[in-house]
Amino acid sequence: MSIMLEKVLEDIYKGLEDPEFSMAISRSVSNAEGKHLRVKESYPYVEDLRLRVLEAKKKALENIDYYIDQLARSLERNHGVLHIARDRDEAQSLLGDLVGSGKLVIFSKSIVAEELGLREYLESLGNQVWETDLGQLLIQLEHGKPMHTTAPAIHLTIEKAARLVREKLGAELPSSPEPEDIVSAVRRFLREIYYKADVGISGANAVAADTGSIVLVENEGNIRLVTGYPPIHIAVTGIEKIVPSLNDAISYALVQAAYAGLFPPTYLNVISGPSNTADIEHRRVYGAHGPRELHLILIDNGRRQALLDPGLRDHLRCIRCGRCQWECPVWHHTANKWGGPTYGGPMGVLWTAITLGKEAGAELSMLCLGCARCDEVCPMEIPLSSLIRGLKRVYSSKI
Amino acid sequence: MPPSLPALIGCRYLLDVRSILRILADNIKRTGLPVPGDPGLLTSWSTGLDLPEKGDVILYTGGLYQLLPYIEEFAEYLEKLEGGKAGGLLLKAAGKLRRLASLSKIVVRPSRERLEYSRQVLVSIVELLKSAGVEIAYPRSVDSYSGVLLYDMGLDTVFKEHARKVAEALESVGAKTIVTIDPHTTHVLRKVFPRYVEGFAPTVKSYIEVLAENIDNLQFKQGDAGRVVIHDPCFYARYEDIIDEPRLLLGKAGYTVVEPRRSGRMTYCCGGPIESIAPRLSRRIAETRARELDEAGGEIIATLCPICYSNLRRAYRGLGLERDIQDLSILLYRRLGP
Repeated sequence: MSIMLEKVLEDIYKGLEDPEFSMAISRSVSNAEGKHLRVKESYPYVEDLRLRVLEAKKKALENIDYYIDQLARSLERNHGVLHIARDRDEAQSLLGDLVGSGKLVIFSKSIVAEELGLREYLESLGNQVWETDLGQLLIQLEHGKPMHTTAPAIHLTIEKAARLVREKLGAELPSSPEPEDIVSAVRRFLREIYYKADVGISGANAVAADTGSIVLVENEGNIRLVTGYPPIHIAVTGIEKIVPSLNDAISYALVQAAYAGLFPPTYLNVISGPSNTADIEHRRVYGAHGPRELHLILIDNGRRQALLDPGLRDHLRCIRCGRCQWECPVWHHTANKWGGPTYGGPMGVLWTAITLGKEAGAELSMLCLGCARCDEVCPMEIPLSSLIRGLKRVYSSKI
Repeated sequence: MPPSLPALIGCRYLLDVRSILRILADNIKRTGLPVPGDPGLLTSWSTGLDLPEKGDVILYTGGLYQLLPYIEEFAEYLEKLEGGKAGGLLLKAAGKLRRLASLSKIVVRPSRERLEYSRQVLVSIVELLKSAGVEIAYPRSVDSYSGVLLYDMGLDTVFKEHARKVAEALESVGAKTIVTIDPHTTHVLRKVFPRYVEGFAPTVKSYIEVLAENIDNLQFKQGDAGRVVIHDPCFYARYEDIIDEPRLLLGKAGYTVVEPRRSGRMTYCCGGPIESIAPRLSRRIAETRARELDEAGGEIIATLCPICYSNLRRAYRGLGLERDIQDLSILLYRRLGP
């Protein structure tokens, strides 16, 4: 996919001229900016966890093949199945084979699924597909793009969210609804869908190589339902999410929540295989109250190539907490309109370079101020502004 | 083959960024300056000042203060172009026809007031250094534009060549310490040049650091000088860790320093670095910052960088607010005395 700086700017300017968009972003920023510092002040051990995760990520990325092999063995031991997809086409085809058509599929919000266009692909196969994270559902209803990594619908004011829920879900809402009214309406709408769904698809915050566990952190409770209710659970994630141990993976999820500014997380999910019981004569049966099948699709899509590139390698440490977005002056005015078709902000420019190629990232890099506020807050100590400046060199080499 | 009409219409409200970069690189290659002009504009401010050409401690301005009135005019022109329908086309045509100089000549006509302000900043810096007991020399022939914009825009090949020339000139005067006056030049000379020019590793200090080191020598007037909201530039605060020094100096000069939201290490950008690529976005960032500096509740807003000064000044003007915004050197200089 080609990206053109001038086109990106055109869309950004539309946002700047839309008072509703600007107001919604500015409200969210003033609530979220610097929040990680308050979390760290209250829970000083978050710093120890951060350092642990930083080391774990470095170790895993340096030995990625070793840890993929270990993960495959661990998952097999747990009666889960590991699949590996090189790119978007392979990921879609793998998922298509697992899901088939005519199914009811629920998603729990996964940016990797967005990267790979999985929701749209499953719909094209004749499945009925619903997002269950409230923000992500609103994005689905407006056919839009997530505007922040952990808070996808931050660009929508309450009025706009209410309009979508009324028009697209047929929900009845008071004329001046409160956030609670919208949440209740969506809850009512999704209840039956959870119950009837054939397949639940999640992402993963982290994956532990030693135990084969998928770790997911959340507040809404939708992830527990998506991964626990349907008979089949499929998790989709990038190879960079693998860390050596379950201890590392849990720390990873906690650090992600802390830097997202949402701490303590309401729920922390550890999924190490299909649900099972040995309550009858101590004989193991798979498929108890939860899913009877667990699949993990590991995605490359440019990541391995990036590991070999000194201009991108460090960015694979990104845990996608979205902290750099909350602190970036450009992002404060553009949200994810700057960063690429899937990702946004400083980390988005680099994820776009990894997943769509450096030339795509280079077009976006030119809007970086180089102010380095992102470098200052990144929990994984990624030199974001320097890496982005590297992309500017790619852009400017073509004048 | 010329670009198709739909392609042009697609970006009719936008600047063609590569054309801007071409103009920039072309100007620097031809004249050493990012905007067309007589290289003498970098040193004319020192006329009449009794500054030796040689010494252990030399002043290297890097030209940003002197050039800013010109760059500012250029950015305003670009913003007008961007707002008009002809923007993309005009710049593309200008780039194509190689009429870069003539285009830029139309653009660059700064006001007398802006030029005078830059001169006052430079004179104030020299007078402050002298008052602090620093024997400062100014080898005029060595002063030049540092090329920082080339580096910021990723124009590395042109930057490397330019940096080599600047470094050679600086080395030729054999100074022990190079004193810089703005955050971008400080950073580029101290941290970037050594990576691009083999063997270049001089001692580089911002005049703010030099003044802070010699603070005991500085005599300021007695009494309360008012409440100053400090706007830390990104490059001093995050790249060069120059945060305490301006506060110390302002405090000694009798000002009460007021910290705005987002200050010190987490200071906020003035939008300057993208003003020639995305003028409207740059201005919005500047307006956000201008508003929060305003909300801090001071009488004066202090800037430490010519780009911040220019961008915030324009932002206040755009917001219809009259605010007293001053360079740190001006604020300190006006308090010199017994």
